[in-house]
Amino acid sequence: MATSRERGALTHPDVHKLSDVNRDILKILSRPGKGWWMLFGLAAAGVGLFLVSWGNQIVNGIGESGLNSPVGWGVYITTFVFWVGIAHSGTLISAILFLFRAPWRQSVYRAAEAMTVFAVMTAGLFPLIHVGRVWHAYWLFPYPNSRFLWPNFRSPLIWDVFAVTTYFTVSAVFFYLGTVPDVAAARDQATGLRKKLYQVISLGWQGTDRQWHHFGKAYIFLAALATPLVLSVHSVVSWDFAMSIVPGWHATIFAPYFVAGAIFSGVAMVITLAVPIRKVWGLEAYLTTKHFDALAKLCLLTSLIVLYAYLSEFFMAWYSGEEIERTAFWNRLFGDYWWATWTMLTCNGLVPVMLWFKRVRHSIPALFVISFFINIGMWFERYVIVVTSLHHEYEPFAWGIYRPSLTEMGIMVGSFAWFGFWFLLFTRLLPPVAIAELKEVLPPPLRKQSKEAH
Amino acid sequence: MTDGIKRRDFLKVLGVSGAGATLTACSTEKVERLLPYVTMPEDITPGVATWYTTVCDGCSAQCGMWVRTREGRAVKVEGNPDHPISGGALCSRGHASLQGLYDPDRIASPMVREGADFRSITWEEAEALLAQKLDEAGGRSLFIGGPLGPSMAGLVDDFMESVGGSRVEYEPLADAPLREAARIVFGVDSVPRFDIGEARFVLSFGADFLETWLSPVEYGKSFAKMSAVDDHGSKGRFVFAGPRLSLTGLNADEWVPIRAGSEAVVALAMAGIIAEDFGDAGPYAAMLAEYDVRRAAEVSGVSEDAIREMAHRFASEGPSLALGPGAAGHHRNATAANVAVMILNAVAGNVGRTIHFDAARGGSASRPYGDIESAIRAMASGGVGVAMVHGVNPAYSLPAASGFADAFASVGFKVSFASSMDETSAMADLVLPDRHFLESWGDTSPVSGVMAIRQPVMQPVPHFNSKQTGDVLLSVAGRMGRGMGAATFYDYLRNGHRRMHGSDAEFETAWRHALKKGVVVHDGGGQGAVPALRAPDTALAFGAPTLDGDGDLTLLVYPSSRFGAGEFSNSPWLQELPDPVSKITWHSWLEMNPHTAEAMALRDGDIVTVTSPHGSVDVPVWTYPGIREEAVGLALGGGHTGFGRYADGNGVNALALLPAETEQPSGALVTVATRVTITPTGEHRRMATVAGSDDQHDRPIAPAVALAALGHGGEHATEGGHGSGQHMELQGVGGFVPMAAPEEEVSDRFPMEGSRHGEYGDRENTARWVMAIDLDKCTGCSACVTACQAENNVPWVGEQQVVMGREMQWMRIERYYESVDATHAAPLDVRFLPMLCQHCGNAPCEPVCPVYATYHTPEGVNAQVYNRCVGTRYCANNCPYKVRVFNWYSYTDAVPEPMNWQWNPDVTVRENGVMEKCSFCMQRVREAENRAALEGGRDLRDGEIVTACQQSCPAEAIVFGNLRDPESRVAHVVANERTYRVLDDLINTQPSVNYLKKVTFHEVASGEHA
Repeated sequence: MATSRERGALTHPDVHKLSDVNRDILKILSRPGKGWWMLFGLAAAGVGLFLVSWGNQIVNGIGESGLNSPVGWGVYITTFVFWVGIAHSGTLISAILFLFRAPWRQSVYRAAEAMTVFAVMTAGLFPLIHVGRVWHAYWLFPYPNSRFLWPNFRSPLIWDVFAVTTYFTVSAVFFYLGTVPDVAAARDQATGLRKKLYQVISLGWQGTDRQWHHFGKAYIFLAALATPLVLSVHSVVSWDFAMSIVPGWHATIFAPYFVAGAIFSGVAMVITLAVPIRKVWGLEAYLTTKHFDALAKLCLLTSLIVLYAYLSEFFMAWYSGEEIERTAFWNRLFGDYWWATWTMLTCNGLVPVMLWFKRVRHSIPALFVISFFINIGMWFERYVIVVTSLHHEYEPFAWGIYRPSLTEMGIMVGSFAWFGFWFLLFTRLLPPVAIAELKEVLPPPLRKQSKEAH
Repeated sequence: MTDGIKRRDFLKVLGVSGAGATLTACSTEKVERLLPYVTMPEDITPGVATWYTTVCDGCSAQCGMWVRTREGRAVKVEGNPDHPISGGALCSRGHASLQGLYDPDRIASPMVREGADFRSITWEEAEALLAQKLDEAGGRSLFIGGPLGPSMAGLVDDFMESVGGSRVEYEPLADAPLREAARIVFGVDSVPRFDIGEARFVLSFGADFLETWLSPVEYGKSFAKMSAVDDHGSKGRFVFAGPRLSLTGLNADEWVPIRAGSEAVVALAMAGIIAEDFGDAGPYAAMLAEYDVRRAAEVSGVSEDAIREMAHRFASEGPSLALGPGAAGHHRNATAANVAVMILNAVAGNVGRTIHFDAARGGSASRPYGDIESAIRAMASGGVGVAMVHGVNPAYSLPAASGFADAFASVGFKVSFASSMDETSAMADLVLPDRHFLESWGDTSPVSGVMAIRQPVMQPVPHFNSKQTGDVLLSVAGRMGRGMGAATFYDYLRNGHRRMHGSDAEFETAWRHALKKGVVVHDGGGQGAVPALRAPDTALAFGAPTLDGDGDLTLLVYPSSRFGAGEFSNSPWLQELPDPVSKITWHSWLEMNPHTAEAMALRDGDIVTVTSPHGSVDVPVWTYPGIREEAVGLALGGGHTGFGRYADGNGVNALALLPAETEQPSGALVTVATRVTITPTGEHRRMATVAGSDDQHDRPIAPAVALAALGHGGEHATEGGHGSGQHMELQGVGGFVPMAAPEEEVSDRFPMEGSRHGEYGDRENTARWVMAIDLDKCTGCSACVTACQAENNVPWVGEQQVVMGREMQWMRIERYYESVDATHAAPLDVRFLPMLCQHCGNAPCEPVCPVYATYHTPEGVNAQVYNRCVGTRYCANNCPYKVRVFNWYSYTDAVPEPMNWQWNPDVTVRENGVMEKCSFCMQRVREAENRAALEGGRDLRDGEIVTACQQSCPAEAIVFGNLRDPESRVAHVVANERTYRVLDDLINTQPSVNYLKKVTFHEVASGEHA
């Protein structure tokens, strides 16, 4: 990973003074154009689809899904893990890379953090969506009650509740804290209602030394707090599977495998989101090929880890000599869901091979396309893990086939809309690029900075 | 009094508003006054079940029943252990008779035709109308009914005699050829008693005695006695000869896949071989010479050696017993085939040993189909003024080609006594809804020497204004001035029985005793002597029967083990019960050998058109290795059009492909009559099957052990028949530590060290409930599945949900093919495994539940708390046995009034979003514990708690009890070298359900299965 300040420093012809940063970033918060409204309308319609599908399922029963016996988990859990995974790279980029002082993160971390928060908000809905009696879902929380009943702390699902809620809390606070100086900058430019709003949420930020001092300390503490969560949350999510005895789930490799997969998919999602943002708002000055190059390398690394995990799973299934384990993995490759497995292997193992080439890493359109493949591949990875493991388990007579229903597809597609809905709002309401931190890495204007410097 | 509200006023207001709220909430239209019992009815204690005896009227077997009623409603039927036919067990159809009682499609009141519709009338009007029409018909009336009990038969005969006319007995699947053969060969006009339990070698020529043939429950019991390995390591052999393996066939030790119609030549060839040694074929000696082995091999398609070996075994491994083709094999020479089988039995000396004429089966008239044929002619020619149909549905159960529908339609006045609308009653002019047999009086004598009174077990279901046909006939006779000496059928019945007793007091005692016990067994007075072979008085053709049509495939139409000939089709339990062979629910399927299907490029679920010279149907293909390559099979019972909401539109009626032809000379309907052609339609459907894989993939799920390896097998060496190695598996609950018990003195050290509870409970005095299932006895008949469904309020989900994989039954009978070969090259080995919650000691479902909705009780039972369940389904995912079922919808909401009257009040009805599974019938455990507590706090007795599945098993393959009691039956059964627990060696689940391996005659292929 690049750690040199030079490599991360901004050297763009259009940016001469620090106030140019304010100008470029805050103009995004101006009146939205037609394109934004169209996207926003699309997202709102998708949220409508999401709510109608879910409402229908609550009223009529979870039978509106295509789930059955033996496949008790399907698209919902797949999508849950997918969104939790997406959530990971936000924290990685903002917290871990902050602690490691990787300067290239400044341009992307705000969007990545927003992505984290919204992805956790999306992911957190799926455990609610998939349970049979959502009206009793609060029983999973340990709250004092007259029945003296506590949840079962041995159940990975309870760990999951804690992991996801903790992660949401920490990442939301971290996200919010980071925006405070920038919201203050926006407040100074805004008028009317928007100004009032920014006044409230900027917490009276004046940019004094004392405030910066506290801010810096708080930020570094939160970063330190969030860092282990990157590893723990997805480890816990992986234990939802690994703690069971289902062949194909019960594997010790799951925690690192899932963490790597989460970062892999999260970085890909950052690329997917950053490319249009950069284009639409003319942020070429701040999101350069250097940044994309770094993201692509991260993708490549995690892709290799994930591929290694795939191969070692297959190897271990063969090496164990255990017939049931072997059948499970043979079935993955050549069974009823072969297409899902091969989609996964192609998208996550084969396509990222192209990232070895610098020309590809420096081509924004190529990265955009590759990131899409990775997003699809990582969704299918979870689908393969969840569905193919369940549909051929121990008892051959109970083997079955699962086909997602329209309701499930509606909710899955709707979840993307739900995520997009918040993300679009975010781009209009909060500075989508960290103004203050960008300024930190800009060459100091006092030295009569010219484009030749450095 | 002080100010404010008084306590009584407060309670009044509370009561009134509460009642008001309740009534509003229930949206009853009229406000009813609800009162508790002022004077408690004598028989009813709220919360305590009352049991009545009666007799099942499902089929001609007439099993004795116990009916459990709660607060005046029948909620469960069970076999009457005192009854010699059922011996305490019951089949699925018997259990489902409750759904006939509460069938929402029963007729609400008498109806008269008005144009195309019916108009409800009163019984007064209806009876007056019938009396008037009978008067007008002036003796030209006809009564078509099924086999009736002695009193009812007498009443109908008397009635028809007095009004002028005749009674025609019609039974769609009568075993007339068998009876006719007995008459021809032995001169006895009845079906003899077959003592399968006494035989050591049983050869069935397509007699499906575990499903539909004569008396399936009785034979299920005796078959278990014959075929299951006994304490001395001895086991009877069962060979099935026929073109298609029925469920009965799947239980055979060997399948000799003879062509359809070749039973007679094979049986005669065998008889010839045996007669060479024993030399007594009586008047048939000359004929046997004609049918030699070479010819038999040619006709049947199996090798001469196979027939010779079968003959030698039949003669030497005796006592043997051969059973002739039943309804599934009624080809044009079916009587001859039965004659040949009788000869074989006689030559082998089985008459008097395994075939008895002392308690012969009376039952149906000798020419059931022939009689209805002449009735159809009479109706068509206008010779019938009033036609009455009772208890049968000929418009459905006769081939369309018989012309019944047209002939019946031409009758001036048609009366139906059906209790629910069916295809025949839809054509009637007057419909007089009969009572269900559980609301009726009657008597039965299925076998000479066995007499049972059928009594109503509850008040008639009030939704239906029904009246027992006997009462109607008596009342009509009275109106016509031809009174028959009794006002009600009850009186008529009692009058009839009183004649058999000296004094009234004696009669009353006997009557009460009969009702209480449910059966009277006396000396049959049948023929005790062994009848000799007689020369045939009828010309018989023993060769291969003729088949219509010029297709390549022989069509085998067979009675369904769930629906019979279609009379049970309106029961959702039976519709959703996986067929014991195909495991398909709700719809029909065409059985086809995989090689045939491959040659035609057909896969499971491809819809084909089956065309015979008599009609065609569209049906999906199901490939089945248990059928010969040149044959296809189609079950009866589907394709109803006017029988009720659960039957209509499901499947096809196989009768559409058959000619309306009778077998000669017996007069039975021919079911193997035509060749068919198969044309793919290009359509495909997802089958409503519950079967995943038919192959157990070498997993230790349903292993077997060779008979030769029993008792002295390698590492599981045993002493005195009690295994010690396996005892190590009997460690208890909740522990992870495998317990190594000392090798010696194990059998008397129950409970084992380690068979302790987890962290809670009284370790010394709590029971440890376990179950043992003997797979050598289990026949896969699936009676337990329906019994469980009835006991535990398990909903049915419908065809579409089964297609999606959402069947809810708490038990499933897994069916694995180890070796099924239609060319006779490989041994037959099919494994049935009743799979239910294993109540694991180390249950994978328990730790993963986030809310403790499933947990371990101190009694070793894996409990499911429905009210606590949130529905994450993690437990089901983590269950290696896949026995947990989920309420994807509130299926019980769809159960119509009054079918919901059947619900067992001791078991919760579950809602949408909740996981459920087998509870080991915990409500029955608690009931027994309560009873024991009330009876002075005594200890529970072993055998006092019987689970629903165990209760209904004809083979007594299931035993339930307390393992901690060393004297309990289950402890003894489990202490067997055959005991194993499914997947336990692999994943250490420590199940409470112990299976005893199936025993085979052949070597079991892999070491893992041994």
